[in-house]
Amino acid sequence: METNKPGRGFWVTTAILAVISIAGVLYFWLMPSVEPWLPPEGGHPGDQVDWLFRFMSSTAAVLYTFVVGYVIYFAIAYRLRRSDPPDALGVQVHDNAKLEIAWTVVPTLFVILLSILSIKIWYVLQIQPTNGLVVESIGRQWYFTFRYPNVNGEVTDAMHLPVNMPVTLNLTSNDVIHSFWVPDMRLKADMIPGMINTIRFTPTRVGRYQIICTEFCGTGHSTMDKQTMVVQSMPAYLAWYHDWQQRNAHVSNAIPTVSSGAISLAGGDAAAGRTLFSQKCSACHALGPFEQRIVGPGLRGVLHDESHPELVDGDEATPADVAKILQNGYTGSMGHMPNQAENGLSNNDIANLVAFLNTLK
Amino acid sequence: MAVVSIPGGGEVDQLYADTRELRLQGFLLFLVSDVVLFSSFIFAYLYLRNSGQGWPPPGIARPPISLAALNSAILFGSGATMHYALENFKRGNFLRYSSLMLWTILLGILFLCGQGIEYTTLYFQDHVSWAGSGIFGASFFTLTGMHGFHVFCGICYLVVLLLQSVHGVYDKNKYFGLTAGTLYWHFVDVIWVVLFSIFYLI
Amino acid sequence: MSVIAEHGGIAEHIHPEPQGFVRKYVFSLDHKIIGIQYIITAFVFFVLAGCLAEIIRIQLMHANGGFVTANTYDEVYSIHGSAMVWLVIIPMLTGGFGNFVMPVQLGARDVAFPWLNMISFWLFPVAGLMLFSSFLMGAPVAGWTEYPPMSLQGGAGTSMWCAAIFLVGVSSTLTGINFLVTILKMRAPGMTFTRMPLFCWGQLATAPLLMIATTALAAALAALFMERQFGVPFYDPTKGGSPVLWQHMFWFYSHPAVYIMILPAFGIMSEVISVFSRKPVFGYRMIAFSSAAIALAGFMVWAHHMFTSGIAPYMQLPFMVLTFAIAVPTGIKIFSWLATMWGGKIHLTTSMLFALGFLVLFTFGGISGVFLAAIPFDLHVHGTYFIPAHLHFVLVGGSLMGIFSGMYYWFPKMTGRYLSEFWGRVHFALFVIGFLGTFLPMHWLGAEGMPRRVASYDPQFQWVNQLESIFSFIMTAAILIFFVNMLYCIRNGKKAGHNPWGARTLEWQIPSPPPYYNFKHIPSVFGLPYDFTEPLPYTHLEDELTDAPVTVGAQ
Ligand code: HEA
Ligand code: HEA
Ligand code: HEC
Ligand code: CUA
Ligand SMILES: [Cu+2]
Repeated sequence: METNKPGRGFWVTTAILAVISIAGVLYFWLMPSVEPWLPPEGGHPGDQVDWLFRFMSSTAAVLYTFVVGYVIYFAIAYRLRRSDPPDALGVQVHDNAKLEIAWTVVPTLFVILLSILSIKIWYVLQIQPTNGLVVESIGRQWYFTFRYPNVNGEVTDAMHLPVNMPVTLNLTSNDVIHSFWVPDMRLKADMIPGMINTIRFTPTRVGRYQIICTEFCGTGHSTMDKQTMVVQSMPAYLAWYHDWQQRNAHVSNAIPTVSSGAISLAGGDAAAGRTLFSQKCSACHALGPFEQRIVGPGLRGVLHDESHPELVDGDEATPADVAKILQNGYTGSMGHMPNQAENGLSNNDIANLVAFLNTLK
Repeated sequence: MAVVSIPGGGEVDQLYADTRELRLQGFLLFLVSDVVLFSSFIFAYLYLRNSGQGWPPPGIARPPISLAALNSAILFGSGATMHYALENFKRGNFLRYSSLMLWTILLGILFLCGQGIEYTTLYFQDHVSWAGSGIFGASFFTLTGMHGFHVFCGICYLVVLLLQSVHGVYDKNKYFGLTAGTLYWHFVDVIWVVLFSIFYLI
Repeated sequence: MSVIAEHGGIAEHIHPEPQGFVRKYVFSLDHKIIGIQYIITAFVFFVLAGCLAEIIRIQLMHANGGFVTANTYDEVYSIHGSAMVWLVIIPMLTGGFGNFVMPVQLGARDVAFPWLNMISFWLFPVAGLMLFSSFLMGAPVAGWTEYPPMSLQGGAGTSMWCAAIFLVGVSSTLTGINFLVTILKMRAPGMTFTRMPLFCWGQLATAPLLMIATTALAAALAALFMERQFGVPFYDPTKGGSPVLWQHMFWFYSHPAVYIMILPAFGIMSEVISVFSRKPVFGYRMIAFSSAAIALAGFMVWAHHMFTSGIAPYMQLPFMVLTFAIAVPTGIKIFSWLATMWGGKIHLTTSMLFALGFLVLFTFGGISGVFLAAIPFDLHVHGTYFIPAHLHFVLVGGSLMGIFSGMYYWFPKMTGRYLSEFWGRVHFALFVIGFLGTFLPMHWLGAEGMPRRVASYDPQFQWVNQLESIFSFIMTAAILIFFVNMLYCIRNGKKAGHNPWGARTLEWQIPSPPPYYNFKHIPSVFGLPYDFTEPLPYTHLEDELTDAPVTVGAQ
């Protein structure tokens, strides 16, 4: 009876497949850029993603060449030939412990290697600098708007960024889920109403990059790809920034005071404030952390949160300033916070509310 | 009687499964999928609860624990009566069995009444409703309502079982329905332990 | 002549054969008829969902779309995806092949609960009609995944979708329970777990997934339905709910669901490759074990669909690593099948060709899945055409190829006749060409910047899309040939005899089509069904193929 020892044909095939797969590896590693497979890369850490892509493609090329090569080789070499009796049988082997251990252990080792590499690159994504420019983008049906620090209103045409400056991009949505994708930067995160997702990166190449929505968001989803990320030199960026700041100077983020006189905060009743809160405020505010948005931000620790020492209007978080917001309202990046009249609050109510907010730690 | 000719059949029928065994297995698997159903909603509840609005959300009063505790006692009591009902049936003590069954059914109905009282006070006094009170109302009424519905189905099933046993459908050697009923009732009890702890205790 | 005691399981399953068309073919309790009912119904839905796919492809011939409106396009792909998953692949592989083949392979006369089986079946076409009827009332638009808040808006169709999927879900759960009990309790004497044919192992691994994962989906759907119809807040962020909650619950089902769609197909591969290589399947135990491992691990990787949804970063890592890890048991299978072919005497029948196609195409899809599992890369391609590329490679190149392979293999058992081998080869060749032309370029499209679920797109991609559409017509032609082949051969195919492939599992040892009772005498089993040089490992088969009457009935 025949044995299942690999014969000459097998080794020749293996050699051919090895050559093909080495060619595959060389192709993916030596190719000057991955451009034929991914769009030209425009920033850091996108380059890291490309590295991972190269690694995976070249190893996959090896694996796949062998699987397909053997399927074809076996199908041809071991086909039932005309000269064989029709009831000819193959070699009756059931298993081979060594072989089976090999094809369990080798992929396992590979999976461990791949995990280590992916985690390394994932870690690079996590430790991007947090000290650069902070931009906020809001997904709307069906366009993106952008907010910059210290300027009024929202930019709706394009997102301007200076080159080589780390960027922290906070994403949220005003209606349904969108997803913010800049293919050239290899960046993506969902824009989810009531949540803020953050991506950090550094654009390294001047240019215009398409921003695309990749989560279905209604009939206009297909056309939500018309805006661009404009990466400019620092002087060009600053010119744009100041120009824009001036043009929008008259747009105010705050609503003029309508209230009558100063409010005495003494003797505010936190329990009454709590009830009032659930009637007048909880439609827009959660009691969770700042990121927990409904319409306005979450209010846990408005007056005590170390990481948010300032209120949304830029003032220091003190009971008096909170009272001012309740009194005057405020329109900022998240939308419109109603003022005292709009909310139907008496001065006493405000005192109670502030007392209640003060209990949120 | 159904008959099939099988050469050397003796060994065959020994190895072949018994239909009661099949039904028991099927019934247990049904309970498993029911557990998954409850677990999914419990997961949803815990997920929403931990999403940071504080719990219970502002303006919502938790239902008082006292009524619920009384209700739990009633339900566990019915678990005990059910257990002894089956024991008595196995021992052939039909009268004790029937009265214990009746007690189980009665306690089940009491439990539902207790839940009814709780629901009406929550709704009319504290204005907590299913759709109008945010995620608290949604998860509380959905989960306890689902459980109440299970209790209701259990009561109906027990009534059927009792009638069947009165008509002599079951005997000392053949009481699969009663086993299933008992299992189901205990299952409903266990679910309640979980619901009670997540809604009233933590 | 011996009498089976009245408590015996056999007695339960020996009701006299029903008479009359309705009892026999419509509300049948016979697992074989129910299996065929599933297969036919699923093929009907396949044609419908396939026509929707062609609407997609026609729309995408032009960068500006224009064949249908954007809103209709959204409805079309949502129903295409939903129908293909829930009305075609899952019912076909579990209810269809599982019902027809598995009990016979186990040496049983039926499944454990024939009545439940009938109910499971009838829920399925009803749910299918409901799903398609949602077109009449504003079908869902947010894809087969129906993420809220999108799915909270829109017409009654989305609620209809919920109800329909809920019903197929119930059907799946019941089937899962039924199959699990059948496999655990109704195997013929001697049919131990380590002697079971690998197709049964595939079903054994699938059944708990059907039972457990589907119930979780039922909860998610019920909550969505309540929120849409009664305003009960679960997912709406403006009422304190969380859209991400739905994503967790949906993927907790839908990731195991992709293994529901592939494990039975793996089972078919093991049978087909072994039989046509005339060799025992290589590494039986490892193949069986890896099915179980995949099913188990499948429950722990769902969040790999949500890497962009903002779950805490460190929470993503275990999901990534576990997803990678699933490549290992899957690889064991692929390599074992390769080793099965090695040194065989390979009959390149159509069934075997599809199995080879499966190996080549599924492996590609699996590897692209591993790419997706790597978080940094997934952040780039999530939500792009790379995802349809991956999912069609595993679902069409995997599950559907498995179904085709199984059809060519078991058709003679179902009807007593062969499918035409010539047209089968034409089907295979056109299908593979059409498939590669349609779905291979999608990887590139996605990586280069084309998002999925769009009715119009950047004109720079138009030529690629036109190419894909043309190839998709070739694929359609291939499937058309397959259907004509089947319809023709049911009556006119070459007669096949009871065991045309020389296979050794039990279903091939009884007449084709199998008689109502499957076995006159329940066989006993004393070996694996894959030793081609040994005598058959079953006793009591002597009379199965003779005309000797079987004595059944009251006595
Ligand atoms: C098992 C599952 C399965 C199968 C078999 C298919 C089969 C096909 N799919 Fe599908 N597809 C999905 C599952 C499947 N798909 C899923 C889950 C999605 C995601 C949906 C979402 O985003 O939510 C998707 C999405 C999807 C898209 C992306 C849409 C988008 O994101 O905008 C596209 C685009 O080309 C596509 C195309 C096709 C084509 C051309 C086929 C072809 O293989 C179909 C060929 C079959 C036939 C055509 C039927 C038989 C033919 C006849 C009987 C002849 C008569 C018919 C005619 C003359 C038309 N599918
Ligand atoms: C039959 C269905 C099926 C199957 C079997 C799989 C199998 C796998 N899938 Fe796939 N998947 C889908 C159907 C399926 N998938 C669908 C429908 C979606 C999209 C849903 C939607 O959004 O609409 C999806 C989406 C999807 C995503 C989410 C992408 C995103 O939306 O961003 C991911 C990410 O991890 C993923 C990964 C995997 C992996 C790792 C496997 C593994 O199981 C694959 C394992 C197989 C192999 C690896 C090949 C053989 C192995 C070897 C030859 C051994 C050696 C190999 C190595 C060591 C690498 N899939
Ligand atoms: C219609 C929605 C709405 C209602 C009702 C509302 N708010 Fe606000 N609130 C907002 C928005 C939007 C902002 C943020 C404005 C911005 O940053 O652009 C805000 C901001 C605030 C802030 C500042 C938070 C910070 O971290 O700096 C406080 C405090 C606040 N609201 C308290 C209240 C209280 C108390 C009530 C009830 C009397 C209330 N709000 C009712 C929408 C609302
Ligand atoms: Cu916004 Cu899609
Ligand atoms: Cu998955």
